[in-house]
Parts: sequence; C-alpha cells; structure tokens
Amino acid sequence: MVVYTQEHVYRHPWDRVTAAAWRKFTDPASRTALSHVADVHTLHRRLDSGTGRLHAARSITVRSPLLPFILRRLLPSAAASPNGAALCHCVETSLVDAQRRAMDVVVRNVSLRGIIEVEERASYRPHPDRPDEWTQFRQETTIRCRPLAALAAVAEKVETRCAERFLQNSAKGREVVERICRYLEAESAGAAPSAV
Amino acid sequence: MVFGRSKSSTSTTPSAPSKAAAACSEMRAAYHECFNRWYADKFAKGQWQRDDCTDHWHKYRACLEEHLEDKHLRQILLDAETSTFYDRPETDPPSGQGAKK
Repeated sequence: MVVYTQEHVYRHPWDRVTAAAWRKFTDPASRTALSHVADVHTLHRRLDSGTGRLHAARSITVRSPLLPFILRRLLPSAAASPNGAALCHCVETSLVDAQRRAMDVVVRNVSLRGIIEVEERASYRPHPDRPDEWTQFRQETTIRCRPLAALAAVAEKVETRCAERFLQNSAKGREVVERICRYLEAESAGAAPSAV
Repeated sequence: MVFGRSKSSTSTTPSAPSKAAAACSEMRAAYHECFNRWYADKFAKGQWQRDDCTDHWHKYRACLEEHLEDKHLRQILLDAETSTFYDRPETDPPSGQGAKK
C-alpha cells in the first residue's frame, strides 16, 4: 500500500476555490491539461436547504495508464485496445458544508476493484491565517493492490505506476483550479477575459 | 466495442465514446451552466435555501437513466435517489501531517 499526502494554499477565498474545483473536469478549456479524463456525469445530488449541505456523486471516466498484459486480460475494454489503454470508472462523492465553509471530496475507482483500490480524499478549508482570502487544500491518495498471489510480481509495479500517474494528474488538477480561480476573479471584477 | 479506439483518436478526442455522453451532452451542459452559476453566486456565499437547478437536473438525470450503459454507474444513479448511501457524513479529511509514504 502506498499513501501520498499533498498540500497546497490557494491565494483565493474558499467560495471561489470550491467553485473552481467543481468546474475542474467540465471546463472546456481544461480538456488539454486533463486529457486523461474522458467523461464526467453527475449521478446524484441533494441539497439540504436547512443546514446548507450539498451532497453530490459524479462518475469520472479516466483513461488508465498502459496496463501490463496480465491486467489487460482482466479488463475487457483494455484487451480490445491496441495499446493496452483502457477506460476506468471512478466515483467522486462530494460534501460541501456552506455554513462551515468545508468541502470534502472522495474519489474511488469502481473498475478493477478486485485488483487495485485507489482512494483520493481531498479537503478545502479557509486558511487558518487568512480565512477570508486564502484556501488550504489537502489531499491524501491511497493505492492498494489486492493480494492476489498470481499478480504479486506485477502488483508493486502497478502501484508505482498508478501512483506516478495520480501525482502527475493531481498537479495538473491544481494548475487547472488555479487558472479557473483567476478566471472567476476576473469575471467577478466585471472583466472576464474572453478566453479562459 | 465502443472502447476499441485507435491511438491517435484517444490522445486527441476530449469526450468519451459513450452513449450517455452523446445523448445527454446538451442537458448536461445546461445543468452545469446552471449549477456553476448557482454554486458560485449563491450557495458558496451563504444563500443555500433554494436550489435553482432542480429542473435542469431532473431532465439531465432522466436522460442518463435512459442512456447510461455501465452497470456500476447505473446502479449508483438508480440507488442514490432512494438510499441513504451518500447521506453518511464524510469521515475526517486528510490530516495533513506530512507525507506518510
């Protein structure tokens, strides 16, 4: 099992950063940076209008890293793909508490769970030093390969490869959120740039 | 199979080759536009009493119910409305005590 934690301070207020975080995967201008994301759909949403809590679940379909042959055979879509890439489904569940100004996002894979379990937990909170101006972002990624004896030899390689990929994509995701924040800032100042 | 695509097209095409994506793209776009505006202008700023996007959401969801193919995702779509699965409070956020590799 490998666990990575990452932190980042956005020099933007919480409401802007979380608005940008929602747009991360659906913003047309982000598609080049986040080209591993093939498709996003909202599967569930619920607003608790009494407490100001918003729950949502989205599917995120990602292009997997190139898989070793043995895993390709287990994932029909990968077996059909000439280069061993495949589409994997993840589910992202979010809870935003507007009253407490807290956003928590958990992403888990639903494909290949018998082989590997990836969980990415992220939180967005007002920064303790400048709560109205900055936002503290924390993310913890856990990657666990299932102990299948036949796959033991490749398991470690897969964990490492997945971890590298997730870390690269997390960094890209932060850049995208930063860019959308700048866009929203300009927009709220009444001078939205024509191109994001 | 929809997944068996050439290398060049997977690296350049932004959208997935799924039926749901094609059939529901307009409804999804309308819902996202509504949601993004509502979230930024109202919800995140403390006006959470009213959900402005329920009409857009119901149309989009009905489309997904018709076109979503993947069985895992379908199950979540269908279960979520009736179950309390997503109502559980999230567990603690990452503690941020440095890398725990």
